Parts: sequence; C-alpha cells; structure tokens
Amino acid sequence: MSVGSPGGHAAPSPSRDEGATDDVSRLDPLLDNAPCGFVSFTDDGKVRTANSTLLDMLGYERDELVGAHIEKVFTVGARIFYQTHFFPLLRLHGRAEEVFFLLRRKDGDDAAAIVNAVRRERGHEWVTDCVLMHVRERRKFEDALLRAKEMADSARAEADLERARVQEANDLLERQAIELEVGQQQLMEQAEELETQAEELRGMNDALIDRGEELERLRAVAEEANHAKSAFLAVMSHELRTPLNAIGGYVQLIEMGIHGPVTDAQVDALSRISRSQRHLLRLINDVLNLARIESGRVEYNLESVVLRQVADTVLPMIEPQLNARRIRCEVAVPPSFRALADREKVQQILLNLLSNASKFTPAGGRVTVDAFADAEPNATVSLRVSDTGVGIAADRLEHIFEPFVQVDDSHTRRSEGTGLGLAISRDLARGMGGDLRAESVEGKGSAFTLSLPRPLKQ
Amino acid sequence: MLFVHGFGCDQNMWRFITPAFENDYRIVLFDYVGSGKSDLSAYDADRYATLAGYADDVLDVVHALDLHDVILVGHSVSSMVGLLAANREPERFARIVMVGPSPRYVNDEGYVGGFERKDIEGLLETMEHNYIGWANFLAPAVMKNADRPELGQELTDSFCSTDPLIARRFAEATFLSDNRADLAALSVPSLIMQCSDDMIAPLAVGDYLQRNLPGSTLRVLKATGHCPHMSHPDETIAIIQEYLANPAPNAGVAVTHA
Repeated sequence: MSVGSPGGHAAPSPSRDEGATDDVSRLDPLLDNAPCGFVSFTDDGKVRTANSTLLDMLGYERDELVGAHIEKVFTVGARIFYQTHFFPLLRLHGRAEEVFFLLRRKDGDDAAAIVNAVRRERGHEWVTDCVLMHVRERRKFEDALLRAKEMADSARAEADLERARVQEANDLLERQAIELEVGQQQLMEQAEELETQAEELRGMNDALIDRGEELERLRAVAEEANHAKSAFLAVMSHELRTPLNAIGGYVQLIEMGIHGPVTDAQVDALSRISRSQRHLLRLINDVLNLARIESGRVEYNLESVVLRQVADTVLPMIEPQLNARRIRCEVAVPPSFRALADREKVQQILLNLLSNASKFTPAGGRVTVDAFADAEPNATVSLRVSDTGVGIAADRLEHIFEPFVQVDDSHTRRSEGTGLGLAISRDLARGMGGDLRAESVEGKGSAFTLSLPRPLKQ
Repeated sequence: MLFVHGFGCDQNMWRFITPAFENDYRIVLFDYVGSGKSDLSAYDADRYATLAGYADDVLDVVHALDLHDVILVGHSVSSMVGLLAANREPERFARIVMVGPSPRYVNDEGYVGGFERKDIEGLLETMEHNYIGWANFLAPAVMKNADRPELGQELTDSFCSTDPLIARRFAEATFLSDNRADLAALSVPSLIMQCSDDMIAPLAVGDYLQRNLPGSTLRVLKATGHCPHMSHPDETIAIIQEYLANPAPNAGVAVTHA
C-alpha cells in the first residue's frame, strides 16, 4: 500500500480544440469514410457523432446511434470495463490508447475493436473522441495467444507443483537415505560390538574348554591317585597285618607257657602287648575296609536277614565294654523284622554303632536297640541305636559321617579309634540300598538309624 | 477521512474530492496491495481472494496510523470493504460513505444486481485482452497536457494494477462477492450515494441497501455513471458535506432524503 496526501490538485483541463463543434454535417467526408471507426460522446455518454465506417461496422443507421448512450454499442462486460477503467482513465489522464473493447452490433453479434481516445472540451462541453480499429484476425490470434498463455501458465503451475512434489519426494528420500545410513552405521557398530562379544565369548569358551580339559586331566590324576592310594592302603594293610598276626600268635604261645614259665609280671606285659596288637589290627582292618569300599571292591551278599538275630549275635561282642562301664543295654527288636541285606555288613554296622554308644555314653548310662518299619509295603525297615550320651552339636552332626572325624578333640583323647567307623558304616548301608542317619540333642544323647530295604516277600 | 479506491483505479481517483475536506479533516489515502504504487511483492493471492483481505488492508492502515472516529469514504466495491472493516472493528469508525455501492452484482433469486455471470466473464475477457502484451497501457508514460503540469510526474507512475493476474483476482473478488448477509450487522451510520443512471449499481440496488442497512441514509445523485467523484465532483462533495454536517441517524433508522 502507499499512503499519501493528494495535495491541492485542480481538476484537469481538457485539450483545447477551439472552434470545433459536434455538428454531424461538419464531419469531413475524409473522416466519415476513413478506414477506421470514429465516435464522439459526452461525459454523460451521449453520442454526438459517429462516422459511416463505424455505423457499417456495427450495423446501425446514423440516427439510431447519435443521441443514444455510448454503452449501447458495448457488451455488458465492456460496459463494466468502461465504467471501472476507461472512464476513470479518460477523466484523470485525458486520453487512452490501444484499449481493447468488445462492441455489440445491432444484430447482437460481438465486434472487437482497438480504441484510441482523447477527452477534450468542444462547443462548451466535454467530449471524448475515439477512433476504433476493427480487429478480427488479430483477435483470433490474441485469443489463441491467450489460450496458449493460459495453458502455459497452467502447465507451468502443474510443473511447479510436480517439481515441488518431486522435490518433496527427493527430500523425503534424502532424509530416508540419511536415516538408512545412520541405521546402517548403527547396525555396523552393533555388528562390530557383537563380533567383539563373540570374540570374547569364543575366548571364554576356549578358556572353559581348556579349564574343562585341565579339570578332566586333574580329575583323572586325582582318580589315579585315589586308586593308587586305595591300592597302597590295601597292600600296606595286608603287609602290616601279617607281622601283627605273627606278633599276636607268638604272644599267645608265650602266654600259654610253651616257651617256658612266665611270671605274673610277664603275663601282665604280654596282656598289654596283646591289647595293643589287637587295637592296631583293628585300625588296619578299618583302613583296609575303607580302601576297599572306596575302590569299589566290596561285594554284598544280599539275603533276607532277621534283624533280631543280628542284634543277638552282636550284643555279646560288645557286652564286656558295656559291663565295664556299667551301661545298661536294652534290646527291643521284634523277631519278625527282616531286611534285604548282607548279614555280616549289618552286623559290622550294628557293632560299630554300639561301640560308639559305649564310648560316648557316661558310666551308668543306657543304650537301647529297637526297630521299626514303614507302614507301606516295599518300604524300609530300620534298626535304631539310641544312647544317653554326650550328644552331638547340630553344626557337627553333618560332619560326623566324613572320614577321620570324631565329635571333638576332647572326646578323641578318651575314645580311641580311627574315626572311620561311621564313614564305613554309612558307605556299607548305602551299598545295600539303605542309609544311615543321625539325630542328636547335645547333652541328652544321640540316635543312629540304619534303614534297609525290606525283602520283597516276608 | 479515509478514502478507499475501488476496482480499476487507485487513490488518484479521489483527487477532485479531497481538497474540499483538507481544512476540516485529516485526509488519509492508500492503495490496496496489488493496486497503484503498492508493493507488489506483498501481494498474497489467498489473502486477496475475497473482500475480507481488502478489509484487512483497511484495518492495517487504521491501526498503523492509529485512526479513530474514521469517516470511511469507499467507492464501489470499497463500500462493502468498508462495511466489512466496520463490522469487524466498529469502535474505530464514525461514518461510512458509500459511493455507488452494491452488495451483490450478479442477479439472484428475488434480487436484482444488474448482471449475469456471463457478463462478468465478458469483463474478464476484455481485461485479458487489455493486459496482453502491453500490461502497462493504463500507465501512460507522460502527461503531455501542458495545462496540467501539477499532475505531471506523479501520474507517470502506474494508475491501476498492471499485473493481469492481480487485476483478474480483484475483478473476481469484486463481482462475484455477496455481502447481503453482512449488511444487518453494520452499527456505524452510513450514507448510500446512488447515481441516477449507474449500470454497475442500478437504482434497485440502492433501494435494497437502504432497506437492509441499519442507520443508512440514501441519496440519489443527479450524476450518472459509476464514478460521480470523477464525473460530478461538486455534487459529490456537497452531498458528503451535508451528510457530515447533520447528526447521524441512529442505527436501525433509515432515512431517505428527497
């Protein structure tokens, strides 16, 4: 917008054409028949004169046009253009040139014309003189030009739109390409990371395999060492037992006086030698048994064993120890209870349990042997040895079945033994498909339960 | 007084009118964007597709100069542009003077506007032919009339829109507009200046406006044609002065002067 003040403009004066009038009769014959239309009209639009050429062009008689309004020869569109453009132009500028007008002939047809006009004062009034060139072929050409221009404009608009679309699509593709590149970059980084991790995992795997091989090798070495140990122990036990048996035999011969009379003091000494020899023999037997068990060289002769008979067999063997400490022993094993087991092994276990009970029960205490069976068929039958001894602390209870373990150091001093008894007993129980479990209340006593499978038929 | 030019011209069209009001009023003139000496780069086809965009121009001027109690004098289509602006911000306007107004140019059922749709197309065709090849024909290079030197150089500039697309769009916005529904909302007193023989705004249109514009005064001029401010400036000035000298009727009361 431009905003301004008009200043003091005066109304424009017309072009001077002194002496001219609008008298039609004065129309020069040359002008009347000139090869262009001529018309003159007032500011109000009233036609003052028109030449023959124009009348021919529009199909009017002179008296039909002179005195009429100039708009009579305009199409409606041309009238609007006259009011909005042509008249203001004439009024403000005094002239107009090369203006295109669509005229209306008397017969209703259109006639296009190019108009040059000048507004001037003549005969005491303001008139506009116009010359009109009829345009026919030129109009067709212009129409074609306009249509072509329209098509070109619309094609250009279309092309612009298309270009914008292509540009947009291009931008989108570019963005996607960038995104893809970024994505690819990320994927490559991830792939590299994965490769690194895979490398690490491979390394760890190799290390684990190495470690596994190492462990396997170590295990083989350990197993070999264990076998060697067991073999060594078996051999050594045998080698030790032979001289010990010889010592025992010869002590008995001396005691019997076969090599001459022995004094009371000598009998006493021989008795000590004999006790030590037996103790040593027992220790060696224990070690031998453990070695055998560990090396898997123990054989079990399973049969239906009457538990009461086992108890009756074992009890006399332990009675001297029990009596010596005035420990009462009660046996409550029903004669009908049987187990599918190796009789000798069960005897060995029961003897071990009673021996322990006698060791760890204070003088004047009580040891009980009883038995019970699960109600279910094919379940187990159990033989239990309870005492009123020192008992075992809960944190020690789980360790007592390990080899070379006794309840504590203080007991070890007065309860001699290898510490192998319980370990051997449990191994034997498990070897027969049973188990050996312990429960105890410290200071009140302990109970060891040997469970064994029952024979299928009783 | 804010003078608003119509379709086909620019602010120069008021040159015969404004001197009569210079002593009593602040005179403000402007060209719509796309017309006269406006900055064509500011033209926005969407904004100027309807008269509302031209009303925006009016209000932009009102705000830029912080105008109050505006007497808006609008020619032809700018009568309706002024109406739209006054409906939007009535507090800014004191009176609306409408020179050759029409709320709708094309005939409608029960309404005489004076034109058929094909007539408007005829106008557009005439405009097309006049803009082809010599787009600046409306901008005569030199005023050769020695007796009007005062107009001189000023008129060597463009007289009207010289861009055919802008002119066509203005023509469509003007002649295909229908502002009949906006008339009743006008709360500012208005003067309808109706020429006695105006093919663009026939007498029936003036009557229609006077009936439907609250607070309007209808004056039918002796002048003929569509541009009384150029063809009959004295009568135009006298009627505006007379209208401004009298108290405005209340809105809703229409007064017809004989």
